Amino acid sequence: MVSDNLGFLLEGLKLTVGVSVVTMMLGLIVGLAVALMRASRFRLIRTFAYLYTEIFRTLPLLVLLFWVHWSIPILVGIALTPFASAVLAFSLNVAAFQAENYRAGIASISAVQRQAGLALGMTGAQVMRRVILPQAVARVIPITGSLWIALFKDSSLASVIALHDLMYQGRVLAVTLFRPLEILTAVAIIYVILLYPQARIVNHLYRRYLPDAG
Amino acid sequence: MDTIVRVEGLHKKFGRLHILRGIDITIERGEVLVIIGPSGSGKSTFLRCLNRLEDPSEGRIWIDGVDVTAPDADQPRIRRDVGMIFQHFNLFPHMSVIDNVMEGPRTVLRMPKPLAYESALDLLDKVGLKDKAGRRPSQLSGGEQQRVAIARALAMNPKIMLFDEVTSALDPELISEVLKVMKRLADEGMTMVVVTHEMSFAERVARRVIVFDHGQIVEEGHPSEIFHRAKGERTRRFLSQLTWMNSERTVSD
Repeated sequence: MVSDNLGFLLEGLKLTVGVSVVTMMLGLIVGLAVALMRASRFRLIRTFAYLYTEIFRTLPLLVLLFWVHWSIPILVGIALTPFASAVLAFSLNVAAFQAENYRAGIASISAVQRQAGLALGMTGAQVMRRVILPQAVARVIPITGSLWIALFKDSSLASVIALHDLMYQGRVLAVTLFRPLEILTAVAIIYVILLYPQARIVNHLYRRYLPDAG
Repeated sequence: MDTIVRVEGLHKKFGRLHILRGIDITIERGEVLVIIGPSGSGKSTFLRCLNRLEDPSEGRIWIDGVDVTAPDADQPRIRRDVGMIFQHFNLFPHMSVIDNVMEGPRTVLRMPKPLAYESALDLLDKVGLKDKAGRRPSQLSGGEQQRVAIARALAMNPKIMLFDEVTSALDPELISEVLKVMKRLADEGMTMVVVTHEMSFAERVARRVIVFDHGQIVEEGHPSEIFHRAKGERTRRFLSQLTWMNSERTVSD
């Protein structure tokens, strides 16, 4: 029975992957921008970036998702598709966490590296671009992998705003066939099969980029 | 005489710590000036004020006629002409050896890559590391890393070079290869300010030695005067400790 409907479930998988990939790309870019804003010379920019990170790290994802999907249309008058709402809500969240990751990475590069760059005659921005960021990003790769896995799983929340992802397809099928046990088990197994190898890869990244962290 | 550095009334305070207490000195072009003194006496802070990695609390510094303590001084521009070598090398670990040497010319001077590559290779040859150009810094010994750091600073074609205890972090057997490179630079006429505990280097290479203590210059003169006829009791005691330390090492070689 599950195999008869596997196609229907895998149809949802496309959106699960789609939402996760688009969100991750946006989150990486916005997160970097926020992290750089936190290193800004200007206090106002630093404070803005700080508030952004703290607010969106603490807002429960489900609250954020509902808020984006139901409040933005009221505020701006534009109805968002479930896909757009999911990407927006998840990106705000992922960017906040990723900004913290970048910030920790930047802070972990010692001050003497900065001085070595300055001593060559580099400007502060050149030191950041050529010396600090390349080293910081390498250190942030493993934790970014962990964030990706969390995002991939949590994208299932978007089924509550009717994004037709893997979870949503599973719920629909479970209800129409009156077979919640079999169908939801199948959904769970698909998530695990997909994520297990990815988790192994992330473990490998930790060993490769942060060998000292165990 | 051709003055390249002039320092007047330099003070540096970190909070309540008064590290430099009124330094006045001029350095001639082509001179090798060695600075010695007990740890905490302000030698490193003095060097770091010269290239403005530290902001002086008081006083003025001119380098090649430019007032680097002026509020509108263009620090990155000034630092191009002032090379600095650090105690712990501070190479860029994510770049190969030759990329480290090319980084200044490429990023700061916008030198075309082929040109930067050629001159970096020449400099690595000069410090005896041409065959290690493609390695990572972590694959080199401390002495080799420090020679790369010297090549990296030389790539900017500086007017003066600052050496901040550049052999202090090295195993004894690696010190001489670094000192040899420095001696050669001195022979070629490079202006050098060298903070070091290597007395033999000071005796053979320095034109002048100054002794720092408690943030002030307490002795100044030719190496032979300082090492054999130091005036102050504290200086004599410090020097005898250095002699003991240096000879310990010679024995262990």
